[in-house]
Amino acid sequence: MISIKSLSRRGFLNMGAAAGAGLLLPKTGLVRPAFAEAPLAPVDVKDAMIAFGHTGPVSDEGWTWAHDQGMKAVEAAFPGIRTSFVESVPYSADATRIFRQFVADGANMVFATSNYGDFLYDVARRAPEVAFYECDGRTHMDNLGTYYVQHWYPSYVAGIAAGAMSKTGKLGYVASFPVPSVYSGTNAFLMGARTVNPAATVQCIVINSWFDPQAATQAGTALLDNGCDVLFGIMDEAGYLQVAEARGAKAVMWNTDLRRYGPKAYITSIMVDFKPFYVEQVRRRLAGEWTPTYGLLPMGQGVDRDAWGETVPPEVAAKADAARTKMMQEGWSPFVGEIKDSKGTIKVAAGQKMTEEELYHWDWSIEGVSGLDA
Amino acid sequence: MSYRLQRLPVAKPSVAFAARIASVVLALLTAGLVLKLVGMEPLALAGRVLKSTFGSSFGLEDLALLFTPLLYCGLAVAVALRIGAWNIGAEGQFNLGAFAATGIALFVPGPDWALLPAMAVAGALAGAAWILMPTLARAYAGVSELITTLLLNFVALLLVYWVSTGPWLDPSGHALATTARLPVAVPEFWGIVHWGLPVALILAVGLAAVFAFTRWGYEVRIGGSNPGAARYAGMPVRRHLIAVMLLSGAIAGLGGMMEVAGTVGRLQGGISNNYGYLGIMVAVLARAAPLGTIATAFLMATILNGGIILQTQGLTTHTVLALTGLILLYAAIGDEAAKYRIVKLAKGA
Repeated sequence: MISIKSLSRRGFLNMGAAAGAGLLLPKTGLVRPAFAEAPLAPVDVKDAMIAFGHTGPVSDEGWTWAHDQGMKAVEAAFPGIRTSFVESVPYSADATRIFRQFVADGANMVFATSNYGDFLYDVARRAPEVAFYECDGRTHMDNLGTYYVQHWYPSYVAGIAAGAMSKTGKLGYVASFPVPSVYSGTNAFLMGARTVNPAATVQCIVINSWFDPQAATQAGTALLDNGCDVLFGIMDEAGYLQVAEARGAKAVMWNTDLRRYGPKAYITSIMVDFKPFYVEQVRRRLAGEWTPTYGLLPMGQGVDRDAWGETVPPEVAAKADAARTKMMQEGWSPFVGEIKDSKGTIKVAAGQKMTEEELYHWDWSIEGVSGLDA
Repeated sequence: MSYRLQRLPVAKPSVAFAARIASVVLALLTAGLVLKLVGMEPLALAGRVLKSTFGSSFGLEDLALLFTPLLYCGLAVAVALRIGAWNIGAEGQFNLGAFAATGIALFVPGPDWALLPAMAVAGALAGAAWILMPTLARAYAGVSELITTLLLNFVALLLVYWVSTGPWLDPSGHALATTARLPVAVPEFWGIVHWGLPVALILAVGLAAVFAFTRWGYEVRIGGSNPGAARYAGMPVRRHLIAVMLLSGAIAGLGGMMEVAGTVGRLQGGISNNYGYLGIMVAVLARAAPLGTIATAFLMATILNGGIILQTQGLTTHTVLALTGLILLYAAIGDEAAKYRIVKLAKGA
């Protein structure tokens, strides 16, 4: 909280000083600027504390559960290490209080498994000796890194299967917020579906939460009532899969294998695995090698499609997997122009390939996706 | 000789105070027992909570920031209770106040000294506007404000979600589902604690004085406790009802302005953090007394802050919520129990 406001006063002075230093130092080479990237000092495993702030409950069998598996992997890889986590951290000033409490308790490394923005940065700025990570973050600091998954590739693969299995060509999407993950997820899904059904569309309902089984169930019902017959979404639980199962529709899920909640409806899931990432970053922190990273975990190394559901016809699975193999073996990307937005404006010129940065920051719907653009 | 319980219409203040203290102590003891049974160390945890909250200026500053919105919302609900109206909509008015203040800050150019008062006025007016319809419906058609104010909370929350993820979304691309940072901030006077806190305290003292010493305050109190008698005595009860409910909305709206411009710095869904609903508890525990609200808002802030510390020690959100509820339940029981006294009956009676 403070630090942002201090930007207007002290912060500007610091920025001025930093800019001045930046201008002077390359010439003199005598003084190292304070903001130079030096790894944080090593920590003995017996003294180390690693903390996780989660957006939902660890029992969600979804996103938060997957991150909790990562914490358990850290505990297994570094016996004796101290860990701490808080579930259901709200997107409010309470988040700042929780992250600050982690620091007060002696955390050496803090992972925010969702985008907490300023609520996290305010704490990170005041704890320069603590390493911070923000999942799905877009801000870089000397002691704050970001991490996320390139989920648009498996979303495209799942979209091919969804397009082939939809009879109406109307796909539904249960969205959390109109944020880049949701834009890239819906756009990739529809682009995949249109390779088999060029008339397919995606209709979105935004429920303003990542974990609200009741709202997700209602949204799923409304989408099916509207004629959709395949549901996708970015929920941390299985609510709309159960709706699809009960109504004889199909569903693509996120995070984990949820097929037992709807074996007939289950097409696949955008599976995430953060275990190797967490273990590696904690190792670097303990060894005194840690500087922030800003990577996106690629398909096959942190995100992938799940094994196909029992009702997915083999020829559909084969067609979708052909695209997946091409992506993984040849580095092929389907995100190539010409791509129009929902208003018909050409946003990506013919033949132009979208960069990973552009895919990560995607904040507009392609033509055919409705319910997200204001 | 025999004894029996006698119920008094109003508890003696000294007894009520003792009952309040006893209920908090008993609730903490119960909570400690439960923690012990699940294998935690209640005394060590309590020590940690106290040390983290009161042992450093950071802890105290955090507590003050949590105390501020609780005080605004508690005052808003308490004021309305004075005339017998239940403002369940402080949550919505708080959101609207934050929304209006953000609109001024983001889209009206001007120097800080002019912008901040304009934002405060806009926040208060927006809060009052949000309760205007329930107020008129109650005053002229007898529609229960309980339902109307509650339902408008959802509208307000969705409005804030919509503008902060849609038309007012931060254009930098670095922040998700939130507006840009406001170019002005309520100044700080102690660490990260801003002027929203002293303003709320002054408001509480001012309201207490108005209710205690002015004719208007007297008429509002009579209008709340016995509207029929007040009307018979020639008091303009309806006019007072409208004025008090609008004032209630304005206080909550001002709280929202202070939260967005002082504490959070951006408008986003969830900024109200349930302060509006917690304000109902704050006001009820204070029996709608503005000065009492200061004490109960502080108690609530301490409990909630303690809850956050407990969560980092491995307690789940649900356990912490249950403990918070336990303290309030015990307080309610204590309040009721304080109204009883034991009387000795003479022989043969």
